[in-house]
Amino acid sequence: MSTSYRKALFVDNLRREQMLEEYSRGRRADGRGLSEYRELKIQPGTMIKANGSATVDLGFTRVVAGVKVSVGTPFPDTPDEGIIMVGAEVLPIASAYAEPGPPDEDSIELARVVDRGVRESHMIDLSQMVIEAGKKVYSIFVDVAIVNVDGNLLDATSYAVVAALVNTKFKKMTLKEDQVVELEELSPLPIQAIPVSITTSKVGDFLLSDATTEEEAIQEARLTFAISDGKACAAQKGGQGSFSPEQVLKVLDLAMMKSPEIEAKIREAVGFAKEGSSP
Amino acid sequence: MNLIDENGLRIDGRKLDELRPVKIEVGVLKNADGSAYIEWGKNKIFAAVHGPKECHPKHIAMADRAVLKCRYHMAPFSVPDRKAPAPSRREIELSKVIREALTPALILEEYPRTAIEIYVEILTSDGGSRAASITAAAAALADAGITMRDMVVSVAAGKAQDKLILDLCDEEDKEGQVDLPVAYMPNMDQVTLLQMDGHLTREEFETAFNMAKEACKKVYQIQREAVISRYFGGSTPKSKEA
Amino acid sequence: MSKVERKYVVPGDFIAEGDFVPVSNAYSIGNKVYAMRVGLCELEGNKVKVIPLSGPYVPKPDDVVVGVVTDVSAFAWTVDINSFFPAFLPASGVYGRRFTPEKDDLRSKFDVGDTIIALVAAFDRSKDPMLSVSGPRLGLAPRGDVVKIEPVKVPRLIGRRGSMSKMIEEASGCKIIIGQNGYIIVSGPPEGAALAAEAIHMVEDLAHTSGLTERIEKFLAERLGLTEAAPAAEREPVAASPPADTSSEPSADAPNEEDSTEEN
Repeated sequence: MSTSYRKALFVDNLRREQMLEEYSRGRRADGRGLSEYRELKIQPGTMIKANGSATVDLGFTRVVAGVKVSVGTPFPDTPDEGIIMVGAEVLPIASAYAEPGPPDEDSIELARVVDRGVRESHMIDLSQMVIEAGKKVYSIFVDVAIVNVDGNLLDATSYAVVAALVNTKFKKMTLKEDQVVELEELSPLPIQAIPVSITTSKVGDFLLSDATTEEEAIQEARLTFAISDGKACAAQKGGQGSFSPEQVLKVLDLAMMKSPEIEAKIREAVGFAKEGSSP
Repeated sequence: MNLIDENGLRIDGRKLDELRPVKIEVGVLKNADGSAYIEWGKNKIFAAVHGPKECHPKHIAMADRAVLKCRYHMAPFSVPDRKAPAPSRREIELSKVIREALTPALILEEYPRTAIEIYVEILTSDGGSRAASITAAAAALADAGITMRDMVVSVAAGKAQDKLILDLCDEEDKEGQVDLPVAYMPNMDQVTLLQMDGHLTREEFETAFNMAKEACKKVYQIQREAVISRYFGGSTPKSKEA
Repeated sequence: MSKVERKYVVPGDFIAEGDFVPVSNAYSIGNKVYAMRVGLCELEGNKVKVIPLSGPYVPKPDDVVVGVVTDVSAFAWTVDINSFFPAFLPASGVYGRRFTPEKDDLRSKFDVGDTIIALVAAFDRSKDPMLSVSGPRLGLAPRGDVVKIEPVKVPRLIGRRGSMSKMIEEASGCKIIIGQNGYIIVSGPPEGAALAAEAIHMVEDLAHTSGLTERIEKFLAERLGLTEAAPAAEREPVAASPPADTSSEPSADAPNEEDSTEEN
């Protein structure tokens, strides 16, 4: 049962007025412009026990993604495709408002939205992740531990998942005389695209990019677009407010405008240059 | 599977921008404070509202407004492969987005310290169940006499075989390229739900989005009439091919 | 006298633009007025009212309500008044300031399951409703059936200056006590009570239609016509059957004498 009650940061009215006043002057509490992102730091390969990993800092938001590749059976309706699953959990260490326990609806939404961005962009060519069609495929599990919350988990998690997948190296399996044999060498995943998640928050009449916890506490709604190769491949509106149709298109335009700069940062951090460009 | 034939007709014979038949009946559940039953294509869905009522547990009650609770649940027999009764991750996400699609329309400040519960039961699912759920739930909320600033209607647009289509059925949802559900408050002109998966250029997005929005206005006429006709000579179902 | 227009509205319906004032169940954005609930829209001069067709009972101070005691503690009775909060009747209100739990056993006064007629003493959305039974015609309800209708239909059941309920009383030979919360006590002979209950539900179902008074009149006349053979005594007004055990003497009354179209 989804409940509107939410334990979250409470922003008093004076502070809220102050913040809105600043927005009308094109500035935010941390000095950023309305569509400016915080400093983004991506460190690939931080978790040595995982096949691939990345630690992402977006301002004070910190998330760690780890990838485990194992062997599994394919889904019945896609017998010739590997499997990818994204999970996420906001750890109690990350926020005074996070409680231990199974993932709550926010964590589930987070994981599913990031998953859709990765899946719909066809970032991983899952048809190459098959060992024996219909019987054995690779299962790619990406799990995200959110270590510190300061807003915009959607984007931070997405960047960490993407970076961790590019960073992944695993031992491939082949069939040798009906036996599944593990190869010695490490292979990367077949990466085809780098999806970029851009989340915009609506606060009063203002559209803010990459909101902090405090800004999220006064937002009416948020709209995330995952952009890959100049196209929108996922979208999700969240929050208890609404957008006008014009604002929806504005947010999409903003996402398309911002995604190249973030994409470049991700590519640089993981050493995955765009085809046809110098590394 | 060929989703669109050479005449531009879809597998159920519809044109690209054609809605499935929608039938809504309001006030159908005696034990609910408000209720609606919707048949949208092959979808069969009940929506029930309980409340405003005392909020339990008490510590989640809010001093200045009602707490909204929402549950989207599929019956095990609603889909070809039996769905286990326990809430799946998909149902949990949908419960959240549906709640967030309806909240902007409700004037919750009228009922402080109470809870309003919305239950949506999918008996048969055939693509677009979340859109049908939202449409039925809004009718149920109005039926319960809860103060609202507007109704909420929802329709999904999409893409199949590189053509933009409206109101995806199950096969189109599974085999198609894009699914874009939109929920809309028709009088306030506000979007309360927007999700998308697939691939759309900027222009395609705008076209598909507008197609969904305009279809919402059509479904709104059906919904509005169903709510009103509940008081005109009983709850006779209003059926309209949009 | 300005023309009163009626129209069916659902939430969000645009009603009027200009110098209009939303009075009930309507709201304005700028100078446009919209409906906030499902109901009948009335424009009287520049006042906009929406008379709701469904919805919860929202207690108002000075409302007379019919409630059922659901719990008894040492200090108060908990009463179901068909609203979204249970109501409380403090013991001190009944026994006075000198009340002590050891001496005064609340259950001897009103027990769980008893029906009472009470006044809403206080309600302000930050606390549960408080009741009072100090006053004439308040306290334990007379023996009878409790008929439940939607609270928004109560004004229609009362009728203009109580005319509708009086008509049903006379025809059924029963006393009818109407709570603003939609709980109604019908006390009298069984056949009369059944007739009254039927008439009450008919008013509820057709509350939004016009010509309701005539329809109910007709219905009652037809029904009484069918029971011509019944003894005359059963058709006399209720003064003949006082309740068996009451500490006060409640009587049928509409707490307000307003027009039947008064909204919640």
